[in-house]
Amino acid sequence: MAFLEIEGLSAYYGKARALHNVDIAVEKGEIVAVVGANGAGKSTLLDSIMGLTAIKGDIRLGGESLAGLSSRAIVEQGVGYAPERFNLFPYMSVFDNLMVGAFTARDEADRNLQHVFDLFPRLAERRSQETYTQSGGERQMVSLGRALMTGPRLLLVDEPTIGLAPKVCHDIAESLRRLNGETGLTIVITEQNANFAMSLASHLHILETGELKMSGTADELGSDEELNKAYFGH
Amino acid sequence: MSQIIIQGLLLSGLYALIAVGFTLIFSIGRVLNLAYGAYLMIGGYVYYHFTQVLGLPQIAGILMAAIFGCVIGILKYRLIVKTLKGDHVAVEISTLILAVVIQAGIVLVFNDSSKILHPIVPGVWRIGGATVTFNILTAALASWAILIGLYLFVRNTHIGRAMQAVSMDVKGAAISGVDPDRINLITWGISGALGAVAGVFFASYTQLSPSMWVAPLIIAVAVVIVGGIGSIIGSLIVAHIIGFMEIISTTLIAAELRGVFTMLLIIGVLVMRPRGLFGREEL
Repeated sequence: MAFLEIEGLSAYYGKARALHNVDIAVEKGEIVAVVGANGAGKSTLLDSIMGLTAIKGDIRLGGESLAGLSSRAIVEQGVGYAPERFNLFPYMSVFDNLMVGAFTARDEADRNLQHVFDLFPRLAERRSQETYTQSGGERQMVSLGRALMTGPRLLLVDEPTIGLAPKVCHDIAESLRRLNGETGLTIVITEQNANFAMSLASHLHILETGELKMSGTADELGSDEELNKAYFGH
Repeated sequence: MSQIIIQGLLLSGLYALIAVGFTLIFSIGRVLNLAYGAYLMIGGYVYYHFTQVLGLPQIAGILMAAIFGCVIGILKYRLIVKTLKGDHVAVEISTLILAVVIQAGIVLVFNDSSKILHPIVPGVWRIGGATVTFNILTAALASWAILIGLYLFVRNTHIGRAMQAVSMDVKGAAISGVDPDRINLITWGISGALGAVAGVFFASYTQLSPSMWVAPLIIAVAVVIVGGIGSIIGSLIVAHIIGFMEIISTTLIAAELRGVFTMLLIIGVLVMRPRGLFGREEL
């Protein structure tokens, strides 16, 4: 039994189906990437795990079904989410943004906050700054930090590199590697940048127009000529 | 002049308390709760019934007013606002109708004649040529204490931060483990309690009548429109602008002008600065 099991997942916006019968399994302690173009359904997939869309099929974490649970209950089950648009609270300070993440994990708030500040020292330096004044890279750190404040067993990160400078992308990748290496945290990222995803993840899943086209290790997918042309640019 | 400054400060404190419950709902639910004035009316009448009819102590009367206001706020959210979720026009029309229904209920129970509330604290204080009733002084001090408490609650507690979070980004709050529905429910309860307590002080400053919900509603709407999307600090500043405007116009020009400049200010801000003077999405 995998740590995260997604079985026959279809997701809907009203009557429109955005995901079609998706199956993904993620082992504990893995970094897995879901790669696809705009509109492929990557964000919908993560939103579905978080209980934010109407779904059919099942999503299990550690054997427990998440289907039908509220977002709050899913956070309590141990899922942290850093969405593509960050969804931060713009007129609250970095500290207060992070503390909202501790809403369901108040007893561990001090320890988790220290962990976040160790991982992103810049956030400690700017703890009083309102997030609407921050750069994209800093907001990405706050978004990841807020997700970590929930005390997750599984971290979902939606397009962590979108709109960021290469140096910042590198730093974010290092932070995710460090998180995974030091704490064994299971991480699922989505990416348009397939090379970034391949550099970080042990397994990749290719999503096209809501359907899972292919899954495999970086080596397996790297040898597919058609995929190489479409996603890796070589 | 000292009379104007002191009366302006005291009245502004009361206006800030009247407006802040309305601001909370507008910030978090993006709903103009047009039944908000009815909370004040209920608070005034509940206080009257428990203190002047049943003879309970004043603090018990204020507490009962807060409890009634809180329950009415929660029921309104559960039965109307949540059911009509997303349809702001329907919510606003239904809250206005509810205010009229509550007014009819008040007439049925207490009849339609005005009633005078005994001063919460009787007596007069003369300071620097100005005369201040202990009643308005108590109302203003209690308003300030409640507003400071609310500010500290919103800024420093997990629930308060969650309220701010929901007011700024519902999805961001939800993925942080905050239940926006529960936060809305809590906010409607707090708003009801604040409105009812404000109603006790407002009625003790003016009088108790079944139509008393209109004037405070105009004050609350003015504070939100002039201040911009709900900010507690913005509400305080605008409450002071309106409070001083009222005192200056009624003292120096004519008592009949009470409320007129407030309404002109609403129109002026709507025309010249629709986002309000301090418009940004904070709490």
